[in-house]
Amino acid sequence: MTAFTINGRAVEVTAETDTPLLWVIREQLKLTGTRFGCGVAQCGACTVHLDGEPVRSCSFPLSGVEGRSVTTIEGLSEDGSHPVQCAWAELDVPQCGYCQSGQIMSAAALLARNPNPSDEDINAAMHGNLCRCGTYVRIRAAIHRASEN
Amino acid sequence: MKPHHFSLSRRSFLGSTLAVAGAALVVPLRLPMAWAQQEEGSGMSLAFVRIDTSGQVTFLLPTCEMGQGTHTGQAQILAEELGTDWSSIIVDMPKQPVAAYRVPVMGQMRSVGSYGIRYWHEPLRLAAAQAREMLTQAAAERLGVMPAALHTEDGFVIHADSGQRIPFGELVEDAMALPVPEEPTLRPDSERTLTGRSIPRLDTPAKVTGKAVYGIDVERDGMLYGAVRLAPVFSADVESIDESSVSGMPGVIEVVRVPRGAVVIADSWWQARQAADALDITFTQTPADHLSTDEIDRMLREALDRPDVPVSTLRGDSEAALSTDGQVVEAEYSVPLLAHACMEPINCTAESTRERTELWIGTQGHDVLRMTLENALQVPADRLFINTTWLGGGFGRKTHGEIALQATLASRAVDGRPVKVLWAREDDVQQGQYRQTMRCRFQATLDEAGNITGMGIRLAGPQMGLEYGFDPEQMAQATGNLANFDPFSLAGLSDMRYVIPNFAVEHAVVDLPIPLCPWRSIAHSFNGFFFESFMDECAAAAGRDPLEFRRSHCAGQERMLAVLDRVAEMSRWSEPAPEGVARGLAVVESYGSYVAQVVEAQADDEGIHVERVHAAIDCGHAINPDHVEAQIQGAVIDALSAALRQKVTISDGRAEQSNFHDYPLLRIGEAPLVEVSIVEIGSPLGGVGEPGIPPLAPALANALFATSRQRIRHLPLTDHVQG
Repeated sequence: MTAFTINGRAVEVTAETDTPLLWVIREQLKLTGTRFGCGVAQCGACTVHLDGEPVRSCSFPLSGVEGRSVTTIEGLSEDGSHPVQCAWAELDVPQCGYCQSGQIMSAAALLARNPNPSDEDINAAMHGNLCRCGTYVRIRAAIHRASEN
Repeated sequence: MKPHHFSLSRRSFLGSTLAVAGAALVVPLRLPMAWAQQEEGSGMSLAFVRIDTSGQVTFLLPTCEMGQGTHTGQAQILAEELGTDWSSIIVDMPKQPVAAYRVPVMGQMRSVGSYGIRYWHEPLRLAAAQAREMLTQAAAERLGVMPAALHTEDGFVIHADSGQRIPFGELVEDAMALPVPEEPTLRPDSERTLTGRSIPRLDTPAKVTGKAVYGIDVERDGMLYGAVRLAPVFSADVESIDESSVSGMPGVIEVVRVPRGAVVIADSWWQARQAADALDITFTQTPADHLSTDEIDRMLREALDRPDVPVSTLRGDSEAALSTDGQVVEAEYSVPLLAHACMEPINCTAESTRERTELWIGTQGHDVLRMTLENALQVPADRLFINTTWLGGGFGRKTHGEIALQATLASRAVDGRPVKVLWAREDDVQQGQYRQTMRCRFQATLDEAGNITGMGIRLAGPQMGLEYGFDPEQMAQATGNLANFDPFSLAGLSDMRYVIPNFAVEHAVVDLPIPLCPWRSIAHSFNGFFFESFMDECAAAAGRDPLEFRRSHCAGQERMLAVLDRVAEMSRWSEPAPEGVARGLAVVESYGSYVAQVVEAQADDEGIHVERVHAAIDCGHAINPDHVEAQIQGAVIDALSAALRQKVTISDGRAEQSNFHDYPLLRIGEAPLVEVSIVEIGSPLGGVGEPGIPPLAPALANALFATSRQRIRHLPLTDHVQG
């Protein structure tokens, strides 16, 4: 049994403790907004916040979250009103959209610690999030937009 | 709503649809004549527009949403023509790929070829206009006025003179009793309210909150999970499976034999995946066990020297095309195999018994799924139901049916329980369905003025169209070519728009034991690189400016000239490039659109850096200009990933790459600014999802030549650039 908090809710789950957090979030907790892309922390589609810091849940064992606090895209805001989500919507960033939960979680973590990131700051913080549709131009613009609001 | 696919008269079609759908107005598509003949005997089909008595408008759309924005664009077309309230529409897809949803040239329901707007625009408008006229007629009879005195707006039929407004829902039952107008009047352009405007995407809210449902997100009661273990050599099959090797592992429920491998079913996907890795399985030996990229390259090189390759395309005189009477330019180019690497790995959820099969899948190939299950398991078309989710990328890869067969077999092995089969990224990169590897040789002759008088092209590589039912001899006849014409190989060469008086194209076919699948822009993804690189070589050989050289070979080609001139203006081509920046140009027509790009690049010891790309597109009329911009921005970055680093290489018959560490996508720090300009000169509607891809690689290679005088003729570029 592993006990932790997810999106402000206390949960206890039963799974082998080396199970990647991603599969517990998706299959047991039914929070499917966090997505599987590579399984080896190469693409960032599975990015969640652990005590506020971005982690790749596909490569983070369940044992590592005992007693800690996880936030997924579903917990970032109740109604999509987080400034990053608003900026993403204003600029119509997503195309296929599959990677965008991870992009938004990485961007939100960046802005939480650096409210006015430079292009270089964005490159560093978003380096781990791949987008095959190539929405990077708008991702960058949306992060700047969110930092203004 | 239960779909119908058997023969019905129009009247009984409407009636029977009502019987299952409740009171609702369903408007069938008026089939274009050529299509109607082709589909003769297959009966009437479903509609695109459904309005129920509450006034709820649902659009049933013929193509899937994989990021290209087609659902929003198609809904704009339908809502505008119908005159409904944009904020309350529902967008859905049919559950069966019946005739109304098929594109005539393929005879299939398939979301490919950048057809979403350019083909469907007219049928959708027609269907919406039919619905509008039936509602208007019903309102006219109720109000005792002429239909011409009425118009529709925001879901109401309105009589402007009296100010009376009747909501659609109140008119549906009367409208259903009316005949479907054969030739409805389309709204004039002056009444456009939605098309031509940058309406936000319908799917954005769900995609920024995590609520979007892709195939991988589907939930069914009692669902189990499947992971695959497939033969690493493409043509191999299973020799033996020792199920006991995993039977004691946590969560494992069943091992199911499928073509060329096994699905392991477990309580969770992670358990299934671990067991699939541990499964004791052996595969048959094949003649391809020692295939390598070097061997494939050798086959392609030899094919280029083959005698007696038939001429596929000829303009002017074939001897003059290969004349050496003048300045001769020769070059040879190649591209590697590419994986699709959609961000959402391949998956399908199935509930299947002998009586009924239901799938949940993000697919581009609805009829492919139907045919796959029909052929393998004799699943009748009327017992197959496909729930189409959004796709986490498609790019051509999700036209394939193998995953649906795996999921169906898995479900049947557990008595019809729902099973979600999901490939790991490694399966996705290593299990084939690649963009073909090709090699191409050019020869051109220039006259004293430096104009091309003759050009001969020989392409070597597989003939992918055959696998899709395109007979190359029939295709040659149908397209005005001479022989052996495979559009999946030769598009972009045979139909190129430059004015070259003597021009010949040949295809030396090389069969490869590697499964292939269309990759965004198909043949244009390599022929654009080949042709536009070679045009640049000819310009350099003639000592002429690349823009001026291209323009001088575009007499009468207004669309070529329009995008070339626009991109020249955007990039200030006539002025010297900024210090340290090299510029390269390319222009490619594909899928009915013309795109010219100028790449601004730097190359130094640290590699190739693309700072900015200017792109001009003529896609006719932009239904949603912001989405056109987004597609071109994304295509440039997608194509840049491929041009710089992507390749799948083969060793011992199997793919050497496995995940994003060795099959890299561009990351944000490498992404250039992409400036997009839409050229509108009254051209017919063209596609948008694919045409942004082809010009990027040649424009970049041409920029590298401009800065280093080094001509890179083989992709990916970083393998060949010398510091």
